[in-house]
Amino acid sequence: MSTTVEKAREEGAHTDAPVFSVRNLWKVFGPKADRVPGDAELAGLSAAELRTRTGCTAAVRDVSFDVRKGEVFVVMGLSGSGKSTLVRCLTRLIEPTSGGISIEGEDVLGMDKGRLRALRRHRAAMVFQHFGLLPHRTVLDNVAYGLEIQGMGRAERRAKAAAVVEKVGLEGLEQRRPGQLSGGQQQRVGLARALAVDPEVLLFDEPFSALDPLIRRDMQEEVIRLHREEGRTMVFITHDLTEALRLGDRIALMRDGKIVQLGTPEEIVGSPADDYVREFVRDVPREQVMTVRRAMRPADADEVGRGPAVAPGATVSEAIEAVARTGFAVRVMDDGRCLGVVDHARLLGVVAGTGAGSGVEAGSGTDSESGAGAASEAGAGASASASAGSGDAGSDAVADVTPPGEEVA
Amino acid sequence: MAAASTVTAPAADTSRLGALVRNRALGKLLLLAVVAAVLIPIVNAKWASGSWPHALTVDLTGPLGKTSDWIIDNRDSHPLFLYFFGHISNAVVICVRGVYLVLLAAGWAGVTAAAGLIAWRVAGLKLAAAATAAFLACGLLGMWVPTMQTLALMIVAVLASVVLGAVLGLAAGLSDRTNRALRPVLDTMQVLPAFAYLLPVVLVFGIGVPAAVLATVVYAAPPMARLTALGLREADGGVMEAVASLGATARQRLLTARLPLARKQLLLGLNQTIMMALSMAVIASVIGAGGLGDRVYQALASVDVGAALAAGIPIVLLAVILDRTTAAAGERLGAAEPDGRRLHGLSGWGVAALVTIAVALAARFAGRIDWPDTWIVNIADPVNNAVDWMTSHLYSGVPYIGGTADWAGHFTTWVLDPVRDGLQGMPWWAVLLVVAALAWLIGTWRTALTAVLAMAAIGVLGVWKPSLDTLSQVLAAVAVTLVIGFAVGIAAARSERVELLLRPVLDVFQTMPQFVYLIPVVALFGVGRAPAVAAAVVYALPAVIRITTQGLRQVNGAAMESARSMGATSGQQLRQVQLPLARPALLLAVNQGVVLVLAVVIIGGLVGGGALGYDVVFGLAQGDLATGLVAGAAIVCLGLMLDRVTQPTERRAKKGA
Repeated sequence: MSTTVEKAREEGAHTDAPVFSVRNLWKVFGPKADRVPGDAELAGLSAAELRTRTGCTAAVRDVSFDVRKGEVFVVMGLSGSGKSTLVRCLTRLIEPTSGGISIEGEDVLGMDKGRLRALRRHRAAMVFQHFGLLPHRTVLDNVAYGLEIQGMGRAERRAKAAAVVEKVGLEGLEQRRPGQLSGGQQQRVGLARALAVDPEVLLFDEPFSALDPLIRRDMQEEVIRLHREEGRTMVFITHDLTEALRLGDRIALMRDGKIVQLGTPEEIVGSPADDYVREFVRDVPREQVMTVRRAMRPADADEVGRGPAVAPGATVSEAIEAVARTGFAVRVMDDGRCLGVVDHARLLGVVAGTGAGSGVEAGSGTDSESGAGAASEAGAGASASASAGSGDAGSDAVADVTPPGEEVA
Repeated sequence: MAAASTVTAPAADTSRLGALVRNRALGKLLLLAVVAAVLIPIVNAKWASGSWPHALTVDLTGPLGKTSDWIIDNRDSHPLFLYFFGHISNAVVICVRGVYLVLLAAGWAGVTAAAGLIAWRVAGLKLAAAATAAFLACGLLGMWVPTMQTLALMIVAVLASVVLGAVLGLAAGLSDRTNRALRPVLDTMQVLPAFAYLLPVVLVFGIGVPAAVLATVVYAAPPMARLTALGLREADGGVMEAVASLGATARQRLLTARLPLARKQLLLGLNQTIMMALSMAVIASVIGAGGLGDRVYQALASVDVGAALAAGIPIVLLAVILDRTTAAAGERLGAAEPDGRRLHGLSGWGVAALVTIAVALAARFAGRIDWPDTWIVNIADPVNNAVDWMTSHLYSGVPYIGGTADWAGHFTTWVLDPVRDGLQGMPWWAVLLVVAALAWLIGTWRTALTAVLAMAAIGVLGVWKPSLDTLSQVLAAVAVTLVIGFAVGIAAARSERVELLLRPVLDVFQTMPQFVYLIPVVALFGVGRAPAVAAAVVYALPAVIRITTQGLRQVNGAAMESARSMGATSGQQLRQVQLPLARPALLLAVNQGVVLVLAVVIIGGLVGGGALGYDVVFGLAQGDLATGLVAGAAIVCLGLMLDRVTQPTERRAKKGA
């Protein structure tokens, strides 16, 4: 039942076809790379074995996912996991070896040169780790570059660029050269250049990795702000788990070219798909990612009417604060109904990382309730809804957000 | 267990490889010794001879002489000349004449104003003042007309070189195949002495301005082509990707990104092309270029140092001004535009053009088109008096230290003669063997083969003896250059003060054309082989010092710091850290030293250096092109051999002469 409700909600929020739909995508580098994806035996080899056997490196292996309109889709992995190759395949900056990519239902791999150029010019713009700014142009002309490529007149493109420059907070620096800017400012220029062409989707390739931690945080907030204001679809590549959790509506975790888990931040942290993911998220401050919906248990009769109330989407750390302040278990309230309570033991369980399992079991008891709650909850976003219930329902939700053919290993 | 074995296997591999690498030099030598042991008795039995065996030479003078005669006979009638070379030749003459007339029409005032304003526009006020002063000095020295002749030839040659070089560079920068085909040719062209280019063009065009311009173009275009290709290839991959991601077409990528990104290299190419063109335009006086070089050439021929200096100073001034102006233009790229301090863009150039025209017209109405004779300062006589004084007081008989001529004589007797006699007395196969061993040790079997074949070709051409004479001068000059160069380089690397003192000196010395170096050595040492060697040493020293200093300074700071932290003395740091780590730079310095020394030793033929350089000059002077061509070919072979013997693996982009 919960899944149908979920789906109805999903469809309510995202009526359109996925912005990007990727199916069984392969990118193999090396001699005669074409044979690898088709050959079941070669495709099954590990990276090292494949290299010794064929001299090829499979950067992206059989990857499938959908990017929905308006979401921030994060692809996360360590260096060499194939994430940067993957994002370049989306606009064919790197030509995929096999598989399918479509943008709003339109086949990308079948596009001729002109159509592909139109895609890059108008529909998907990219922000790069090392900025890729033209050193001989001013900030304004760098931002206007994409429009210039499109053949827009000088006055018009400069006016548009000036507006975007202001939007990313660079006003006053229009006539500087990139070499005179700090790293953070340069990346703002890169961001402005991508925004200037008003693309349907923004692609970020580790945009903040080269920046200092404080600047990085600023820039992340900038992206969050832009996303809140414009609701533009974003695909964000990063190797930084904190960044992924902070920005991502959904996260695809890659290892050796494969997606090992795809889900909301809470799912990745709360229900790691395998030991690799578990190891990965071990040091994450769980109380800041997990919501009370996942940590709660059914309320006793006397608990229903007592204690501080929080929304189901509230984080555990918020609940901890409330519990510490009042001394009572927190009630998870939704639309005046009490969905459950979170007490000391539950909260400590989440923080210690031992409570997830019990949370799952408890969650299954309030399955339908929480599902209904999620359905009526407009603002909580995909993360709360997809993780609603957990346990069986949770895995259903994972299956739901995972396109067919995708294995959550 | 299995995992363990896969881990250890590569480790064992690398250690074996390491042993192989360590012994590779030894292995090469052993292999060479085996080959030599088999071959030498055979060749020795067949062609036993100290010098190159006569049976193995091919006399090219006959056929070359015939070709030369045929060309001279048919130059006015054969269609190839009428419709191809003739047109080129005419076009060159018309262009040079046209530019020359414009320069004359502008008058000295107009040209000086134009030079100053151009320098102001591209390089700022300081250089504008320097440029104006330099041109006025040319006039004061009574060299206005020759300066304009050289300038006219230069302008045409530089324009042609830049166009040719840019086209070749564009092709090589955008196509891998063209690059692979072009690069070795350009690399080799850059190590050949200027004299090697003279005779082929003379053969086709005869002595005169067209030959001079074309020789200059052929000599000056390679750096432009190399640097254009380099710049286009080195375009930042991240930027190119970003540009592609925005949907730029191939044309847009080239015009808006790749070319602008390469502009520093393009300007460096322009700078090098101009410097090489100036150098060649001066040398080309021996094939009829006229102008300043011709004045120096004539003066040197009659050992008139004063006149040579009067013509040499304008050459140096031109070189320094041209170099600084183009270099400053390169540095200013990408730097912040100091807003409001200068007139901008077209309007600035417009003002410059208007002022130039106004000054030229003013001079014309004042009747001062030509440099007034009364303004000429004659420095030839005082300089000659000074030289005479030196000749009588410093040449010999100075108490304790002897005299400059004595030094030259001793150097010839004690160094040059033994080296030459030793080389010429060595069995020819032994020379080849040494060449093979050196080239193989430093490079691959291919470099060794090229070097040996080049050396053997010299023998086959029948100029074994003069070539070894030239080689002996090169070796002596290189040895002196390296000893002084490394010593000064190390001193400069260790002391900021020494480097600060040296820098301006090196800057000026590195920009001076080769030809100019002959003037002071003739004044000091008279004529002969020793002055040629001295000029070569002075010419090659700046580059060697600079590369050594840079190499030592660029040694990894962390390595130096750790050595210091362990309490190494500065001598230990130098010997155990800096020198080993700077080895690539030192090897490059050797290679550069050899190439530069060869170039000047050849030109030394003009001041009594004899050997191959003299053959070229003699061939040109006597119209005996065959002799000159054979010597030219030998120079090419010698240059190739010397470069290969000293060139470690990959050559870097370098700032040559």
